[in-house]
Amino acid sequence: MKNKLLSGGFLLLAGFCLQAQEVTYEEYELDNGLHVILHQDKTAPLVTTSVMYHVGGKDRTDGRTGFAHFFEHLLFEGTDNIERGKWFEIVSSHGGKNNANTSQDRTYYYEVFPSNNLKLGLWLESERMLHPVIDQKGINTQQEVVKEEKRLRYDNRPYGQLITEVGKNLFKKHPYKDPNIGYMKDLDAATLEDVIAYNHKYYVPNNAVLVVAGDINVPDTKKMIEDYFGPIPKGEDVTRSYPKEDPILTEVRAKAYDANIQIPASVISYRTPGFKERDAYVLDMISTYLSDGRSSKLYKKMVDDQKQALQVGAFNVGQEDYGMYLVYALPVGETGLETLVTEMEEEIAKVRDSLISERDHQKLLNKFENQFVNSNSSVEGIANSLARNYLLYGDTELINKEIDIFRSITREEIMEVANKYLRPDQRVIIDYLPEEPQSN
Amino acid sequence: MKNIFTTLFFLAFALVAEAQVDRTQMPEAGPAPEINLKDPQTFELRNGLKVLVVENHKLPRVSIQLSIDNPPVLEGAKAGVSTLTGSLLGKGSKNIKKDDFNEEVDFLGARINFGSQSAFASSLSKYFPRILELMADAGLNPNFTQVEFDKEKQKILTGLKSEEKSVTAISGRVGLALAYSKKHPYGEFMTEESINKVTLTDVIQFYEDYFVPANAYLVVVGDIKFDDVKTLVEEQFTPWTKAVPPSFGFSKPADAQYAQINFVDVPNAVQSEITVENLVSLQKKDPDYLSALMANEILGGGGEGRLFLNLREDKAYTYGSYSSLGNDKYVPARFRATASVRNAVTDSSVVEILKEIERIRTEPVTKEELENTKAKYTGRFVMALEDPSTIADYALEIETENLPKDFYKTYLEKINAITIEDVQQAAQKYIKPDNVRIVVAGKGSEVLGNLENVTFKGRKVPIKYFDKYANATEKQDYNTSVPTDVTANTVLNKYIEAIGGKEKLEAVTSYSLLAEAELQGMKLNLEVKKTNKDQFMQDVKMSGNSMSKQVFNGDKGYMVMQGQKKDMGPDEIEKVKGESAPFPELNYLNTDITLEGTESIDGKKAYKLKISEEKTAFYDVETGLKVQEATTAEMGGQSITSIINYLDYKEVSGIQFPFTMAQTVGPQSFEFKVSEIKVNEGTSDTDFE
Repeated sequence: MKNKLLSGGFLLLAGFCLQAQEVTYEEYELDNGLHVILHQDKTAPLVTTSVMYHVGGKDRTDGRTGFAHFFEHLLFEGTDNIERGKWFEIVSSHGGKNNANTSQDRTYYYEVFPSNNLKLGLWLESERMLHPVIDQKGINTQQEVVKEEKRLRYDNRPYGQLITEVGKNLFKKHPYKDPNIGYMKDLDAATLEDVIAYNHKYYVPNNAVLVVAGDINVPDTKKMIEDYFGPIPKGEDVTRSYPKEDPILTEVRAKAYDANIQIPASVISYRTPGFKERDAYVLDMISTYLSDGRSSKLYKKMVDDQKQALQVGAFNVGQEDYGMYLVYALPVGETGLETLVTEMEEEIAKVRDSLISERDHQKLLNKFENQFVNSNSSVEGIANSLARNYLLYGDTELINKEIDIFRSITREEIMEVANKYLRPDQRVIIDYLPEEPQSN
Repeated sequence: MKNIFTTLFFLAFALVAEAQVDRTQMPEAGPAPEINLKDPQTFELRNGLKVLVVENHKLPRVSIQLSIDNPPVLEGAKAGVSTLTGSLLGKGSKNIKKDDFNEEVDFLGARINFGSQSAFASSLSKYFPRILELMADAGLNPNFTQVEFDKEKQKILTGLKSEEKSVTAISGRVGLALAYSKKHPYGEFMTEESINKVTLTDVIQFYEDYFVPANAYLVVVGDIKFDDVKTLVEEQFTPWTKAVPPSFGFSKPADAQYAQINFVDVPNAVQSEITVENLVSLQKKDPDYLSALMANEILGGGGEGRLFLNLREDKAYTYGSYSSLGNDKYVPARFRATASVRNAVTDSSVVEILKEIERIRTEPVTKEELENTKAKYTGRFVMALEDPSTIADYALEIETENLPKDFYKTYLEKINAITIEDVQQAAQKYIKPDNVRIVVAGKGSEVLGNLENVTFKGRKVPIKYFDKYANATEKQDYNTSVPTDVTANTVLNKYIEAIGGKEKLEAVTSYSLLAEAELQGMKLNLEVKKTNKDQFMQDVKMSGNSMSKQVFNGDKGYMVMQGQKKDMGPDEIEKVKGESAPFPELNYLNTDITLEGTESIDGKKAYKLKISEEKTAFYDVETGLKVQEATTAEMGGQSITSIINYLDYKEVSGIQFPFTMAQTVGPQSFEFKVSEIKVNEGTSDTDFE
């Protein structure tokens, strides 16, 4: 009898241990300052090579916005050894795929190849870092491409300017006030010298992290990395000192117009701490609590029960220096934007004034655990997390312990953080309104 | 000295190290990676359910897939019963209410979905026992109720209605029905009529017949132990009663005897949908299966395929043109080459597609094409291996498709061994240009003239005609010539006569109209008021919000678009004056409006009048009634055509008014049903301020 009980307990324990996953990795630095993270996973004969540069939309001077995103495009143009326009063909004819993206804080380039093309992936990324071809022709081409992208993603897309508007209203001094993609006049005004100087300043090994993840032999990989990245000269140290924002002490009201929409939106936004802060994690939980899934508070009340909103959402835009917290709704029928604000505030006030229920708390933990597990489901995803955790959060190990932060957040802490950042006198309310297309 | 020596030595060493990597050369690929495909563990229940388990402890999650590999089912007069069954499954069970079921799945952060003969669930592994239990319970003890049945039936009917005029939907349906015949499981389709014949009892019967374990496979992948799965599955699925699905024979489909165009007239089409198809007897276990896939990939597999390079990159006929090659163990599958193209280039596109499918047979593919395609396949295969469910999918295919046990273990070797000749032989075997059906759904009056001249290998390609439900029809008369004694004035006069006569119309000083439509579940309300003093008011509301309003008092007016008010400029006033008369046709008489010919509108011949640069109107040749108006407007650099069909004329105060106005703008269409028309009452001057 006693034995049975014991073995039962033992099984439970074993079961629990299985659930704790561990992403193993090794990290080191080359002489030129390039930080390297290797993650071996032999599940499939695949390898991801990726480079994250610590440069994003916020890294610019006035009158030269949007440079980091512009470089995302420019650095596919070619290198001393890769002919212009051949990059994508090289990747696809070797069975690989590649892409890149840029945020306000960083730029990320990556390739995924069958593992026998590891060397090719390293060559491509080292070519990009060592000697990209930057000339007037490439600048002209990519200026047009970026303008087309801006039309597609921002200007012609319903609600495409919403985040930009929130940034503009939440920030007065910090570069987050300007859109990540930049102002087109700034791109047009960019000279070849400006562009080359930007490249030399930011796209240097000491401002980047290289991740190689997948089916790799570690000593061989280290040798290849030294071969291809070792000779790249170190750049100047990158320093940043962006202005601090003054706190928002009284509610701000603003209006914005979008020609692509028929139904307006009401947006309540707050300035929140940078994503490294523990409070940012708590805010993530609050947005899930408010609007993720059909049984979430805002959705259930405003969409399902009271049928006032067509759509409602809350999310925390995590950024390095400050975050942006948004709660928004689109009205149904005669519902006015003010009513939406009142209804949204009512739910936010509940989070400030009372503890969420224990069942809701458990449900949140379940959801975050699910998210955490699935975020590490591909080597490609793991490579991205490793790069981000090192470069932006300064803690590579977060890949294994981020979930512990969420697990440790109590109901009391949720209430406390809501009171700290989500008060009515700290909010910026934006009426996001339809606008007739301007006839020329 | 020693120091110098060391330095030199180091320099030399550094040089050697540098020389080892010549970065001016693109690195060569290393030896092909070894694929290590494991086999899943299996067991079988007494009722026939086969279970495949892949243990993968990398992540604490699990997925459960139930698939029932029954032969195709002919649904006949009750086509749609399977769709209904699928949508009614997974809504709780006899033991747990729908809302409680959903709430619990949500709480656990999991998901569960059902098809008519399948189910899928995923969750964290710690919740596996409960999720498996919920899924088995919902699948084995479904709670079919009349209330849910009515709800789902209504959804399907709305769906059918919304795609009634969709060229893509029509083309897809007719393509299958002609390839297989409507009496074949793959050729039959749901209609409003067939859905209305389905009862709750039919759904229960369908479920009892086909949701049975004889051909069922349960695949469990993830962070679980085989023994635990065995215990739990036995517990949950042993009650599933052993049964074999009923089997029926059905007709054997055959290819067309000669290449032919099968034309479906869709008068509202602004693009033609082209499908060039033939049947293929191809199964995964056939030795030339992979060679056939390569041939198809090179022909039309994506952005690097020949169809894409020719029809899009070179000719700019279309946004994309692709081909696909199916495989099926029960019946023939289809080879298809498709494109959506502008009306004006329909015939040219058919010619180019035929050219490419002939060329893939007659000319060997190039070495470069083959090598790049092999690299693409290798990359895709390797990338898929990362997902642990791939192992299970492959094992399931080996079982259900009767493949050799090492089919996927030797997949890359097989891909690499394919030669240029293999590709050509497969192309010649499976792509049959001499027996293709070229299904074209498009606007007859604009595309048919040119299609009649399409030749292939020096011979004219004959055309057969079908309606949008794949019934053979006669060729319609697209002759646009008009009798010499018909002019714009006679057409207008006939219309005026048909709706009540000039005298009655001129006696109308005002009228008002209320109508209602539904758009994506939201209500649209239309209100129009007009007087003979050029006063005009039109208001469109969505769910009670005014979306667009135009008001004109005879001299000046304004528009409110989405809350923004704007005064009318001289151009807009000119336009609105043309519209504001209660019966604008009275003003059209003896103007420079021209008669452009005839066109078929919903199968009936109508005269086409060009009212202005932006507007054309159509009047039924027989009845004289106005049946359609088409207005083109520039929006954001694109020209957008809005079409209104007038139907269902009824008399009010001695005048015929259309009580249905069906409007199509781009992909959206909605029907305004008139609820009220008042003549000479219901307006006052204040309405137009």
